[in-house]
Amino acid sequence: MNSKPLDRHALGQALTRLANASTSDLMRSPQRTLALSAARRIGLTGAPGAGKSTLAGYLALHRAPGRRLGILAIDPSSPRSGGAILGDRIRMDELKGVSQLYIRSIGSRSASDGLSDNLPEMLDLMDEFEFNEVLLETVGVGQVEYAARVQVDTLVLLLLPESGDVVQAMKAGIMEMADIFVINKADLPGAQKMASDIKRISSLARHDEGSWRPSVLLASSSKPESIAALSEEIDRHQAWLDLNDRRKVLRQQRARYRLRRLIERRAGEVIARQDPSFFEAPMVQQLDLALQQIGRKS
Amino acid sequence: MNEIKTQRPLAGKRILVGKPGLDGHDIGAKIVALTLRDAGAEVIYTGLRRTPQQIAQVAVDEGVDAVGLSILSGSHKELVADVLAQLRALTAGNIKVFVGGTIPRADQALLREMGVAAVFTADMPLDVVVAELAHQLS
Repeated sequence: MNSKPLDRHALGQALTRLANASTSDLMRSPQRTLALSAARRIGLTGAPGAGKSTLAGYLALHRAPGRRLGILAIDPSSPRSGGAILGDRIRMDELKGVSQLYIRSIGSRSASDGLSDNLPEMLDLMDEFEFNEVLLETVGVGQVEYAARVQVDTLVLLLLPESGDVVQAMKAGIMEMADIFVINKADLPGAQKMASDIKRISSLARHDEGSWRPSVLLASSSKPESIAALSEEIDRHQAWLDLNDRRKVLRQQRARYRLRRLIERRAGEVIARQDPSFFEAPMVQQLDLALQQIGRKS
Repeated sequence: MNEIKTQRPLAGKRILVGKPGLDGHDIGAKIVALTLRDAGAEVIYTGLRRTPQQIAQVAVDEGVDAVGLSILSGSHKELVADVLAQLRALTAGNIKVFVGGTIPRADQALLREMGVAAVFTADMPLDVVVAELAHQLS
């Protein structure tokens, strides 16, 4: 367990500063050294209304004893005003004992990949504050927002019974990315059929030798044993990662994502501030000028 | 950049909208939350019937710039005093506290003396609320 108690005030302030950090701030900030005892990262993703917040709350309460566990919950920012209503925690705060957990709400800001601006840096900060485990709840996603894949070690995809034809499951995208499928609200009709359909599709998919075979579970917040089963499956996947030396690969993928997001955001800012006349110049010239400004540190 | 600033006076601000105590009417709190979002703020809404201690802890965890308390029950003096004390106990006395709801005129001055930054009532245009918050949080 941790050497000193969590300074929630300092963490709260530091995360707010980080959420507001510009690309210039990030470019100036020193490279963090990778923490030796980094937190396990577990992602929960799925469509809006799939029950991510509620399940995150129950799962966190189940896994918290003996650990420093935090929840980062992302909600969409308005593309029009930049503001957001961050309401994921309403569901969690209603659970008994949840006040011991650290829950943080995050606006997606300019990110449209299911995550938020500066999320890699926020996850690093959780490591610095000596968390053992972080649950990351993404924005409600469709089929292609799978950036969470590389940010977490274990990705759990929540699906609802009768939420779509089996063909949906055959489509590419997020369905290929999950480590664990959870048919949530499994007390609704159609859950069992959905689970067997996903299992069948998943077994037909091509798997490289030695790769993880995604598991399919049923869950319901009214059934504590289903939460315990999900938690065990997460532990099994975490052990598999260690056994197969997968964490190094994940770290490399995270470093790529971080640089790509920084450049994308920077490019967006630079392009947004140009006058209309800028775009009348020949494309090569536009590109040259834009790239110069993207690389500038202030 | 000036244009963006006037459209989004609360850009980058984090504001907790909380309902302490037992009254179950939150349409006012929700309207204010949506107004603040449209002014560019990130609004954390706590839901109904939170204790002052819960509200203070969430404000600290969420690193907010301000807390807005919506109170229609008549217990505003007790509840506000409690929230202010809990914030101070968590060394977060610097977070500004605003109060909205059915607050008699005589009590408004009292709340401000206790440390509340501003009191808003139902007859106030929402633009005035946004402008006051932007001014106090700048």
